[in-house]
Amino acid sequence: MGRFRLRTLAMAAGSFVGITALTVVVSAGGAAERRIQATGRHHFGESSILVMAGGAPLMSGPRGEAARLTLDDAEALAREAPGIESWDPQQVLPGAPVKRGDATATARVLGASERAPLVWSRGVTQGVFFDAAAVAQAARVAVIGETVARQLFGNEDPLDAEILVRNVPFRVIGVLEPFGTDIHGMDRDAEIVVPISTAMRRLLNVDTIVAIKLLVRDPSRVDEAAGEVRRILRERHGLAEGQKSDFSMVTAILVKKMVARVQRVLIVFLPLVAGISLLAGGAASAALMLASVSGRVSENGLRRAVGARAKDIGLQFLLETTLTTLAGGLAGLAVGGGLALYVIRRFHLEGGLSPLAVALGLGLSLAVGLLAGVLPARRGAALAPAAALR
Amino acid sequence: MIALEGVTKTYTRPGGDSVEALRGVSLSINRGEMVAILGTSGSGKSTLLSVLGLLDVPTGGRYLLDDADVSSLAGDAQARLRNARIGFVFQAFHLLPRTSALQNVELPLLYSERSSLDGLARKALESVGLADRMKHTPEELSGGQQQRVAIARALVNEPDLLLADEPTGNLDSRTAGEILDLLGALNAAGRTVVLVTHDAALAARCKRVVRIEDGRIASDEVNAVNVVNA
Repeated sequence: MGRFRLRTLAMAAGSFVGITALTVVVSAGGAAERRIQATGRHHFGESSILVMAGGAPLMSGPRGEAARLTLDDAEALAREAPGIESWDPQQVLPGAPVKRGDATATARVLGASERAPLVWSRGVTQGVFFDAAAVAQAARVAVIGETVARQLFGNEDPLDAEILVRNVPFRVIGVLEPFGTDIHGMDRDAEIVVPISTAMRRLLNVDTIVAIKLLVRDPSRVDEAAGEVRRILRERHGLAEGQKSDFSMVTAILVKKMVARVQRVLIVFLPLVAGISLLAGGAASAALMLASVSGRVSENGLRRAVGARAKDIGLQFLLETTLTTLAGGLAGLAVGGGLALYVIRRFHLEGGLSPLAVALGLGLSLAVGLLAGVLPARRGAALAPAAALR
Repeated sequence: MIALEGVTKTYTRPGGDSVEALRGVSLSINRGEMVAILGTSGSGKSTLLSVLGLLDVPTGGRYLLDDADVSSLAGDAQARLRNARIGFVFQAFHLLPRTSALQNVELPLLYSERSSLDGLARKALESVGLADRMKHTPEELSGGQQQRVAIARALVNEPDLLLADEPTGNLDSRTAGEILDLLGALNAAGRTVVLVTHDAALAARCKRVVRIEDGRIASDEVNAVNVVNA
């Protein structure tokens, strides 16, 4: 093999690319999937209903102009829809300048109720979350994420300090539980949560909210509750039969469908791509090896003359192909594993190098080598020694 | 040692017409002989060598090697015989490129069934005077040296029959003489040597010359003087 460096390298490259892709896909894909599921559970338990202003579906473009979801809507839903355990309205200021002395940061400012820690399963690690009184008085108090705390305070204690959000002074009363990066790649620790009333009146000057999250007491009745929520809201918004809703809803079922769609991509589509590249690599290996058989006719004749049996020649080609693709596969496994670990760390995914990826990598590169080697091996073994030497 | 009885060989060309390369060759060669098979291109001399070397199966007739009929042996058994009893030397050397002389000589050992192979390749290279060239690749050796490596490879399994196909065809006359002397010496040491050539002057340096024409033996003569300088 050492005598045919370029050819060997080209052959190994085929399985290298395929196995690299496969390893990354299987490992990072699996980690991403676990992460999505964990996030889904964390954020979106089975008993959740999310109502968003605007008719646009989840994960799509800007909300429609007709969006008009109000606190009154939220209260009405909590009162009239069956089995609502708790609820939280939301208003958001996507990127607000935040200052403390000379230190500045940009944060996503969320307006929420005192029930947010329960409804979103995210409490505080220091200080306290604001209470109902703070919401009622539209108090200028803030609970800040860790990224914001680090950017504004470094190692100092942020509690009771004053910060300016859009030049409005707020008192820091708590630090949010760390979250990390969400599935959209957003740093959820670069957030500030303030009372919804404060956000609406003092920061945004609006009388609408962007979303309501409702928790249903009995998870098995989420669908029923969601139907009621839709009916109540449509009635409150005076929507006629057949008219498009000016809000959209997400339930756990919808999230499950979304996860399934992501899974389809991760489990079927990406391995397919990796498999195709592996197949192409195998075909290239077979072609190169066949060319090698033709190019080494006299070598084969000589080997036969000095005592090699036909099957020795066949075995030699099979072994050369297999070892080469296996070497490429091992290299692919190493590089792909490294890439996967990098991706996993970079995007805060769950888990590490998948044993399945290792097994697939080794097994497939071996299989590709064997398959790619069969034809050259047969061709090489079939040569008549006398003819090969001529 | 070798007895061919009415051996014929017919090739079928891809087009469908057949070529009779050997048309009934009967020939016997005794152990320790040095025989030249002389013929023009297309006379059937190379086919004869292929049959003798078990690289090709005769269409008809019998080939007895030490009284055993080997013409109908299975491929694997023939390979074993080639490995253990026959050494080949070719006009084009057929050395593996970018592979050291020592590794080239070791090649037949790869397919050998002998138990102790240590030092055989080294010994063979020493015996052809290349003790100081073992690590060299063919590209770093002269034509004569390459042919010596090829001869060492033919000798490594200590075969009793050496078949040489135009062994000096790619060499200048001085080097050719040296190679021929080396073959003569090996013959003198007891090996049976069969040399195929189209060069009458070269053939004349062997003790026995078998002239082959059109697939048949035209003459079989013993030279009065053995001119190879052993």
